[in-house]
Amino acid sequence: MAARRRLKRVAASQPGFLSFKSSSDPTASVGSRRKRVNKNKKKNWNKYSDVNDVDEFLEDIRHQERTTGGLLSEKTDDSLFFLDLGQPEKPQPQAETPQADEGKKRRGKASRPLRIDLILQPDSLVPPPKDILAYQQPNAKKLRRIAQKAERLAAKGVVPRKQKRLLNRRPVDKTVKKAVAEANNNPDRDYYDIWGQEPKVSADPWYLQQTGKKLVKRPEKLNEKPSVLPAVEVIAPGGSYNPDFFSHQALLQEAHQVEVQKKKQEDKLERQLAINKADKATEETNLREQVEGLVEEEEENGDEESAPSKEDEEAALAAIAVTQKKTEKQIKKEKAEKLKEQQRLTSRRQTEQQQQLFQLRSIKASIRQQEEKTKGKQMQRRAKQEAQKAQPRRLGKLKFQAPDLDVQLSDELAGSLRQLKPEGSILKDRFKSFQKRNLIEPRERAKFKRKLKVKYVEKRAFKEIT
Amino acid sequence: MGGLQKKKYERGSATNYITRNRARKKLMLSLPDFRRLCILKGIYPHEPKHKKKVNKGSTAPRTFYLLKDIRFLLHEPIVSKFREYKIFVRKLRRAYGKTEWSAVERLKENKPAYKLDHIVKERYPTFIDALRDIDDALCMGFLFSTFARTGKCHVQTIQLCRRLTVEWMNYVIASRALRKVFLSIKGIYYQAEVMGQLITWLVPYQFSHDHPTDVDYRVMATFTELYTTLLGFVNFRLYQSLNLVYPPKKLSALSSSLARVVSSEEEEAKLDQFPDEEKMEAREKEQKQLETQKKIFEGLKFFINREVPRESLAFVIRCFGGEVSWDKSVCIGSTYDVTDETITHQIVDRPNVDKQYMNRYYIQPQWVYDSVNTKMRLPVEDYFLGVTLPPHLSPFVEEKEGDYVPPEKLKIMALQRGEKPAQQDEEEEEDEEEEEEEDENEEEEDDEEEAEEKNLKKMEEQRSQGKSLQVKVTPGKVKAENRARLEQEEKAEEKRLAIMMMKKKEKYLYDKIMFGKKRQVREANKLAAKRKAHDDAEKAKKKKKARK
Repeated sequence: MAARRRLKRVAASQPGFLSFKSSSDPTASVGSRRKRVNKNKKKNWNKYSDVNDVDEFLEDIRHQERTTGGLLSEKTDDSLFFLDLGQPEKPQPQAETPQADEGKKRRGKASRPLRIDLILQPDSLVPPPKDILAYQQPNAKKLRRIAQKAERLAAKGVVPRKQKRLLNRRPVDKTVKKAVAEANNNPDRDYYDIWGQEPKVSADPWYLQQTGKKLVKRPEKLNEKPSVLPAVEVIAPGGSYNPDFFSHQALLQEAHQVEVQKKKQEDKLERQLAINKADKATEETNLREQVEGLVEEEEENGDEESAPSKEDEEAALAAIAVTQKKTEKQIKKEKAEKLKEQQRLTSRRQTEQQQQLFQLRSIKASIRQQEEKTKGKQMQRRAKQEAQKAQPRRLGKLKFQAPDLDVQLSDELAGSLRQLKPEGSILKDRFKSFQKRNLIEPRERAKFKRKLKVKYVEKRAFKEIT
Repeated sequence: MGGLQKKKYERGSATNYITRNRARKKLMLSLPDFRRLCILKGIYPHEPKHKKKVNKGSTAPRTFYLLKDIRFLLHEPIVSKFREYKIFVRKLRRAYGKTEWSAVERLKENKPAYKLDHIVKERYPTFIDALRDIDDALCMGFLFSTFARTGKCHVQTIQLCRRLTVEWMNYVIASRALRKVFLSIKGIYYQAEVMGQLITWLVPYQFSHDHPTDVDYRVMATFTELYTTLLGFVNFRLYQSLNLVYPPKKLSALSSSLARVVSSEEEEAKLDQFPDEEKMEAREKEQKQLETQKKIFEGLKFFINREVPRESLAFVIRCFGGEVSWDKSVCIGSTYDVTDETITHQIVDRPNVDKQYMNRYYIQPQWVYDSVNTKMRLPVEDYFLGVTLPPHLSPFVEEKEGDYVPPEKLKIMALQRGEKPAQQDEEEEEDEEEEEEEDENEEEEDDEEEAEEKNLKKMEEQRSQGKSLQVKVTPGKVKAENRARLEQEEKAEEKRLAIMMMKKKEKYLYDKIMFGKKRQVREANKLAAKRKAHDDAEKAKKKKKARK
């Protein structure tokens, strides 16, 4: 504000200056007497001196320094101007030393910076301001003091607590891949004498039991084998790769028997389901069935109805026969008869007992017969039980299906070991053997069950066609 | 009535059993885990005697386990391992889903694993128990070692099985324990005698088989898990008993012998001196026989051609003291080449061989197996190249008296007894003689049937001792048994007199027994006649061909 006022005053004091106020009153401005000012006084140095030209000059200089990096008058001619002489002629002997030139060119080109980079570089003489925040650290002195102290202590040999603990800490043992090595089916696992060692546990049994470290004893019943069959059943001699004639025939016969049994079962089923041809419904019987009760034949019905009704009545009468009271005579008679009967029975029993003495021999014989029968039955039952032990037990939903006999037909028999084609799969054989010996229950492959029904929809195109 | 009423199904067999699902829930395991646990621990389902009682009135087919067994399972430490594994799988799946690969790595490094050593010790408290159950383990081990290394089951399991089976075979070779071999259409059956136990196992042929779909692989893999552990421990113990180093190195070729811990030689087990001298002699004789039988192929050098199953033959030959080698391109470990002059036998399966060396026999592989079964070196002529082989008889068949015995086996038994092998002419003579003998036998039988009485005591004695009566019919006797026949005739005379003096009832019983025996004999005769007809037909064909 003061500067503006000063400027106005200075401007107004210049000769020939036309101000607004002066226009309204021209006489005052033109030819007016300039006020006499004492420039020696400090007060008037700023008020009445005109420093514009100096200011401009200085501004100009500062501007030049700021932008172009120094006074333009002091710059060399080359930095400001260049002489445009057109395209310089390329030197002729270029093919002679192309590589050397290229190298030079490249080096020169690489060494010389791009012109555009040179132009765009900041070249003002005014340096960018210092970022004082970067140098500010609130506790620089304190940190410096701490560092110096640590240096002094380290020089003496004293180690700070944290470092001491770090050095004392044991190095980490890396137990990498321990799970892989421990796995049960690792091919390189080592075995030891499991039966020769003494049991490791030597502590108090009560302690072991309480802490759960004691191994529970295996119940005795689990050591029994679930079946008396041997683990590996050797195939019959007819199953040799080069069998003897008769044993091969015997084996074929067995297989044949199995097939015959199967066929018998199938035939039996078919027979049970079969219906007599005569029982099959024909059109006539169908018609009669449908028409039953609809066609009216009244006369016949009347005769038939009367006859059966009479018979019914008579029967009904007989059934409804009222039980009349028994007379005393009858009651006495009945009692006497009962007594008589009882007496007869007792006397008969007595005589029987007396006679049994003479029948001892036959009684003995009959007793012996009975005993023999019971013994025979006992033996049978025992034999059946033994046979049952060899059978596979029913252990679940499915019954045990005996595996098919491995047999090669006469024309499949190979003459030599080289031409032998093995029959059957040992994997299946072992699986069936486990089932037979009651080690696992018979199982079949799980079927794919859909939880949601599948909907079939015709595509639009097909809908139009069909 | 009031108060304490007895309710149904609250005591007795109904409370001893538990259904599978209930057991599974009690253990808090999933069904496959429960199955695996049962297989590993040896807990099997039971079929109760009275199903309706146990099933509380219904007859629905359910799987029952004994409640005490399930309670025992609750104390098993690997149950917690199963649960940890389930959680591990869940975490791994989550990490995969969130693609946190560092977490995946960390989880995989700390995968929970369990060991079955304590289970093996619990189920087989002594070494002999383990040996009794080793049949199954060997079968599974050999089966899994022949599997192809696809991803169907762990490759590690297959490798472990291979290692264990090779170790076992080397033990059998070192201890000369093999007794019987049988080549069947399914596979090869071996029987060995280890520490007094007869162990039979089945090895599949080396051809690749496609796996059947109705076999549960997880179940089989679980069995194999347990059995590999068991087999490993048994192997260790067996090697220890022979003072051999375990685990042995460089064994897969089966051609090198095992290193010993102590380089001392095997001490032969000396028989204890028993006071009974006769028994001692018998035992010594047996022992000597066994020793000779163990060294059938001693001193012989074999070479196995490419088309023959190498591993099986190498195993069998080395078990009985022979030396084996094969072509270098087949497998590592071949010690000598085809061109070696000292080879005594070369095993070939082709119809003919290009180059034939002078001082070696070219035989088919069945010779080795048959020799092992008959415990002596059979004549090589029957097994030359191009010759129709004699049938391969099963050594696992024990023939009772009166049963049909194939003539090949009779010949072999004759050989075993030390008689010379009969040539073709002699055979024909024998055939004629056989017919004569058969006629004689039949006449004698008729006589005996008509007028026979025997002493009661003798009959009872024989019956009590369970011996069969002396009369037997064996088709195909050799000439040299005439003296034996005279003795038999005398005995038969005595017997006839005794039978004449029998009482009616006893005679009735005796007749019944004889009838039953004769039925068997008649059937055997029929079969022999059939065989004879068959042989005659073949001979006729041969003659025709020769004439042409």
